[in-house]
Amino acid sequence: MDTFLHYAWLIPLFPLLAFIVIVSFGRQLKEGAAIVGIGLTAVSFGIAVLAFWQRFRDGGVDYNYVVDWLHVGDIVINMGFEVTPLNAMMLVIVTLVSLLVQIYSKGYMHGDERFPVFYQYLALFTFSMLGLVISPNLLQVYIFWELVGVCSFLLVGYYYFKPEAKAAAKKAFIVTRIGDLGLFIGICLLFWWTGSFEYGPIFESVALGRLEPWMITVAAILIFIGAMGKSGQFPLHTWLPDAMEGPTPVSALIHAATMVAAGVYLVAATYPLFIASDTALTVVAYVGGITAIFAASIGLTQRDIKRVLAYSTVSQLGYMMMALGVAGAAGYVAGSFHLMTHAFFKALLFLGAGSVIHAVHTQDVFEMGGLWKKMPVTALTFLIGCLAIAGIFPFAGFWSKEAILGAVYGAHRYDLLVIALVAAFFTAFYMFRLFFLTFTGKARGKHEAHESPGVMTGPLLILALLAVVAGFVNTPYAPLLTDWLLSTGTGTAIVNVFGEGTEHAASWLQIVALLISVLGVILAYLMYGKKSVSPNSIPEAMPWLYRLSYRKYYVDELYQNVIVRPLGWLGIILNGFDKYVVDGLVGLTAKITQGIGALHARVQSGQIQSYGAMVLFGLLLLILAISLTVEGGGLFGFGR
Amino acid sequence: MVSGANILLSSLVFSPLLAILVIACIPGRRFAAIKQVGILGTLLPLILAFWMFGLFNYDTSNLQFVERHDWISIPIGLAQTGTVFAFEINYELGVDGISMPLILLTAIIGTLAAVASWQIKKRLKEFFILLHLLLIGMLGVFAADNLFLFFIFFELTLVPMYFLIGIWGYGEREHAANKFLLYNGIGSGIMLLAFIAIFVVMRTLNIDQIAAILTTPDHPVTAALTPTVRFALFMALFVAFAIKLPVFPFHTWMLKVHVQAPPSIVMIHSGILLKMGAYGLLRMGIGFFPEQAYQFSTWLAILGIINVLYGAVLAFVQKDLKMVLAYSSISHMGIVLLGFAAMNSIGFQGAMFQVVSHGFISALLFFLIGVIWDRTQTSMIDDLGGLSKSMPFVSGVFLAGGMASLGLPGMSGFISEFFAFLGLFGRMPVLAAIGALGIVLTAVYLLRAIMRTTFGPTPSRFTGLADAQPMEVIPMVVLLGFIILIGVYPAVLGNPMQQALKTIVPIVTGIGG
Repeated sequence: MDTFLHYAWLIPLFPLLAFIVIVSFGRQLKEGAAIVGIGLTAVSFGIAVLAFWQRFRDGGVDYNYVVDWLHVGDIVINMGFEVTPLNAMMLVIVTLVSLLVQIYSKGYMHGDERFPVFYQYLALFTFSMLGLVISPNLLQVYIFWELVGVCSFLLVGYYYFKPEAKAAAKKAFIVTRIGDLGLFIGICLLFWWTGSFEYGPIFESVALGRLEPWMITVAAILIFIGAMGKSGQFPLHTWLPDAMEGPTPVSALIHAATMVAAGVYLVAATYPLFIASDTALTVVAYVGGITAIFAASIGLTQRDIKRVLAYSTVSQLGYMMMALGVAGAAGYVAGSFHLMTHAFFKALLFLGAGSVIHAVHTQDVFEMGGLWKKMPVTALTFLIGCLAIAGIFPFAGFWSKEAILGAVYGAHRYDLLVIALVAAFFTAFYMFRLFFLTFTGKARGKHEAHESPGVMTGPLLILALLAVVAGFVNTPYAPLLTDWLLSTGTGTAIVNVFGEGTEHAASWLQIVALLISVLGVILAYLMYGKKSVSPNSIPEAMPWLYRLSYRKYYVDELYQNVIVRPLGWLGIILNGFDKYVVDGLVGLTAKITQGIGALHARVQSGQIQSYGAMVLFGLLLLILAISLTVEGGGLFGFGR
Repeated sequence: MVSGANILLSSLVFSPLLAILVIACIPGRRFAAIKQVGILGTLLPLILAFWMFGLFNYDTSNLQFVERHDWISIPIGLAQTGTVFAFEINYELGVDGISMPLILLTAIIGTLAAVASWQIKKRLKEFFILLHLLLIGMLGVFAADNLFLFFIFFELTLVPMYFLIGIWGYGEREHAANKFLLYNGIGSGIMLLAFIAIFVVMRTLNIDQIAAILTTPDHPVTAALTPTVRFALFMALFVAFAIKLPVFPFHTWMLKVHVQAPPSIVMIHSGILLKMGAYGLLRMGIGFFPEQAYQFSTWLAILGIINVLYGAVLAFVQKDLKMVLAYSSISHMGIVLLGFAAMNSIGFQGAMFQVVSHGFISALLFFLIGVIWDRTQTSMIDDLGGLSKSMPFVSGVFLAGGMASLGLPGMSGFISEFFAFLGLFGRMPVLAAIGALGIVLTAVYLLRAIMRTTFGPTPSRFTGLADAQPMEVIPMVVLLGFIILIGVYPAVLGNPMQQALKTIVPIVTGIGG
């Protein structure tokens, strides 16, 4: 029986319905819009869980259903949906996080004058994200890929009157679109090389060796460029930290748990393409590794609580990419596994940060402090999030990080292993720096903080629970997720190429990783909790290093001077060219023509007359030409 | 077929005459009555166009609703057989899957432009008479199955346009009108020469017949046409329609028109008149000389890329919203060229989708600029800002229109752009990849223009602006509705086109493959 799988297409449609209802009746609904959004997303979540459960219980083949969408010549383009282990998991994550964020937002956005608009965008985003996940072909993926991008744009620019929000929204759209261009080209090329947009036929062509190796490499890298834009991989990461200008629940949903993970999901969903090209995999692994350490090193010095979390997100996404890049069943599973655990604990951290910001009205961690007593629920759940992301046993992050390290080690990429361990140290350090600065010590700002209402702390508690237990679905002792992800479709394809190869990290590696994380926590404690080590010792010793990190390696400045400004100059130069050369030359020709015309006839005093004369002239020409050329001569006797 | 269907097409083309007659009888000072008739009058072609679309048969590539009548016959010579040879101009109309959507587009934009003309304040009587004349010309261009008729209708659009720009335009309206006429006159002259040459050889003006004869290998009539002559004729047609489209470097005239003409006229100009260039290029340029078009296709692609990128970079630095959209039109018409250059069914379909899609999108955007002008008396980007506060609906639709223009999926712009590029990737992947950079640049300039206008802090002078009125909401919602309909369910436009494109494509690819 596959009832719920058959109805999986309803999962995205309920949020779409919510969007339509709120667009139509937003003004009447006011803050009731939240109820519509929450209620309909809850229905989607219910169906997603049932479909997931059914998919899990029954196993078997992937469910796929398509309908005709457009005929072009002899080609038929389909739209439809599929349910695979990977996307069944994603459906649950997306609906769950979206549901919790919408509940939370009811409190967080209370009193906002554009409240219904906010829920409208959230509903549209949820629809698009679910549509992306459920898509069975690359064209459909691209369609929803762009739609989640525009929702992200709208939500980052939600406070449209703030110049920073406006700039951030624009940047988010354009930088991701550069990545999208890669995906776009990749899809087009794959279509001509394989004759299809559908995952199945594309993978089949690859498996049967119908594509030259270079084609596979090109297509895979182009798709990866799309993934880099969405998932904030270096060097297309610059938009993600700026995107924090959006309301904090948006950062939790879109810029932490779901949309930014879409890049990772895309690589996982097209994995058969990647495993056919060593080059492409190597690119993925190193871009991921570089991003992981690069972003983590920026996170060390930022003052804005959301920006620290944003760089942490970039870094963790790099981790996932790195896992996928080292290939093999272990890498595939570890990347997907970390995607799931990260969705929970990072959403938790953002919502916790939102709760703090809601209370103290600042985002600068140096203006916070001493909130542990005033906001116990927020503080405790935030601590759980920090422990999870730092990879402390037995929280969720421990298991998924351990899986990634194991995969990297198993693939003998020791350089990446070192990077991963250093990044793990950084992560533990900056997360606990954040924790100690925010919740311990004395209050540094002038604010009367109170715990947030239940509608906000409720979602925090649920996510905290998940941040504790989510890792247990895939421990070395009971690798449920591994078995499941590798059971069908893409999973079996990977196993066919690489073998099971899912052995977990050697126990010494687990212990080393744990020790490194604990070391990071301890250092943060000494600097910001106990304050026995001066936090300024490193910036004072190496100010340039500190500044490099604090100014984010000047990447934004580089882009501004190398791309944006020259584009403006080019535009101004071409504008002059258009005005004076292109238009000028034609104008000159026109003047000469007019001059000649003026010599010849006075009737051409106005444009209309000259124009009429031309038509008349043409007609005469026509008759003359015909008379001249008709065989046997014309009536006028020409040519006899 | 329903009785009366045999004159349906003529009725449609000339239906605006009714409104012209009625308006002619109303005294010029009765503004309200003229407006009402002017707007209601456009409903007649609209209804007839939809009726025809309902009767349209998707399963045949033949012309439908054909009407043929002998009209003018000037005996001018004796053929070798001894019979008198006559210069015959017949009245021949017909539509196929390519022209049907364009007729529908024309009728829809025509009505909405009439609605948008409610803000015209002077000489209403003449304005609406000219508007309806323009409508006849445009409908006729897409319905004509005869080179002479095509030419007449083509010219019929120029005269009303000249006055509509020159009398009701902004500051430099007369300069713009003259420039419009100069360029289009030259284009028409070249087109006429090509038509004459074709007629001289072919002895027929029927478009369908000419295409059939020219694409039949070794047809006796065409023996005289050496490849060089054919190429010259193709180039003449290309240049004639390239001026209209417009293709770089023939584009400067349309910048002036976009800036100086009143908003409702720009809706028509950008929405439909430019499309006559694309239509002529496909129907006559490629339809008559597929082999030459195929040889020329690399140049089509290069010109398309220039249009796409040049237009986009220039749109990025413009100070006037109208200029942004004018260069944006140039950029988007480049995509039409790219679709043609693909020389396959996907590319052609993308190009024709782009023609229709850009018609709706640019009509919407220019309408919005008219609305913004109405409130603020400016379209300069630096003078605007923060309009979302007082005009949330207008700003929202503006953003939606911009998103459609930059090819957001779910809207028509995506479908057309995607298929035009997809088609080109099948033939010239490197050129296609270069052209695809336009996808990013389009986002850059449109977001710049739109966000500077509607986002950001609201200056105090803009806090009290009125949001959209009911008369303004109608065009916005209708246009956005079509944009989304085509974006979500492109088959609504794709299915009627299928058969007609299937007749062109095998001829072209037969040559190439």
